[in-house]
Amino acid sequence: MASEQELEAFLKGVEKRAFKRSYYHVRNEESALDIVQDSMMKLCEHYGHKPLEELPMLFQRILTNSTLDWFRRQKTKNALFSNLSDFESRDEGGDFDILESLLLNTNPEQIESAQDHAQRAQILRVIESEIQGLPARQREAFLMRYWEELDVAETASAMGCSQGSVKTHCSRAVAALAKALKIRGICI
Amino acid sequence: MKPFFINTRAPNPAAEEFGVRIAARLDDSTRLLPVHVAERLRLARVQAVKQGRLLRRQETPVFVTSSGSRWGKKDHFGFWGRASSVLPLIALLIGLVFIGILQEQQRAHEIAEVDTELLTGDLPPVAYTDPGFAQYLKVGGPD
Repeated sequence: MASEQELEAFLKGVEKRAFKRSYYHVRNEESALDIVQDSMMKLCEHYGHKPLEELPMLFQRILTNSTLDWFRRQKTKNALFSNLSDFESRDEGGDFDILESLLLNTNPEQIESAQDHAQRAQILRVIESEIQGLPARQREAFLMRYWEELDVAETASAMGCSQGSVKTHCSRAVAALAKALKIRGICI
Repeated sequence: MKPFFINTRAPNPAAEEFGVRIAARLDDSTRLLPVHVAERLRLARVQAVKQGRLLRRQETPVFVTSSGSRWGKKDHFGFWGRASSVLPLIALLIGLVFIGILQEQQRAHEIAEVDTELLTGDLPPVAYTDPGFAQYLKVGGPD
């Protein structure tokens, strides 16, 4: 069983990435924060007694479900303003506007020159916008697989789909990102 | 840049590496979070841990034994530890039963004494049922 300190340290380690992940999905800061808070509460209330090594998987699954719940609530609340298009399969890049991308705090880091920092921040914004433009399942699979560093089986378990589907989603996501970045002249 | 995908389910090291590089870039985004977002996340974390703690305390019944030690679901007590906490209760029950028996015996003894007095006295027992004699005893008798 994870101690209270271990539980808090675990949450501290994952909270920022969880926020960004939610943000890429819902594109609203307040909603993303609510989803992360809700996920944290559920983890602590229902799974606080679980061993520490089980927490990452559980948290990823809770976060995924909380995000889906948010979309369901949005759909019920307002049929006109919904993000159903996120759930549709879309193999091409789409018409995402770079101006709608996330505004970030651009305080210069001391070790980087202003130019390097600006360039880095610009690339990050482009990557984020392209990730936001991915179909929801591809984005989810990509972020879990490469950012959260879950293996294929864990990702499949968290997403509630087969391992083959995870591989397909990841492969398509990587291909779409590579293509989009190449078009923008960005080499990672 | 060469296209990554021929078979989407076959492992592709180049695609894997690209994914990892993109993810590494995304780590920057977490370092650049606005202060108010980081603070809100911190508060959410603290609140969640606190809530979990309160919930676990409610779920775990805790008994305090006579020796002051806690006996809860999570504590590991042996048989004798648990037995020792029940012993005072057993002793109390035995004491109450013993006192009850003693009082019963004492009452029977008193009744027997009264009966003996009645039977061995000079007056016949029928005299005590006479209202005049009862009134006589009430006002003081011969004394």
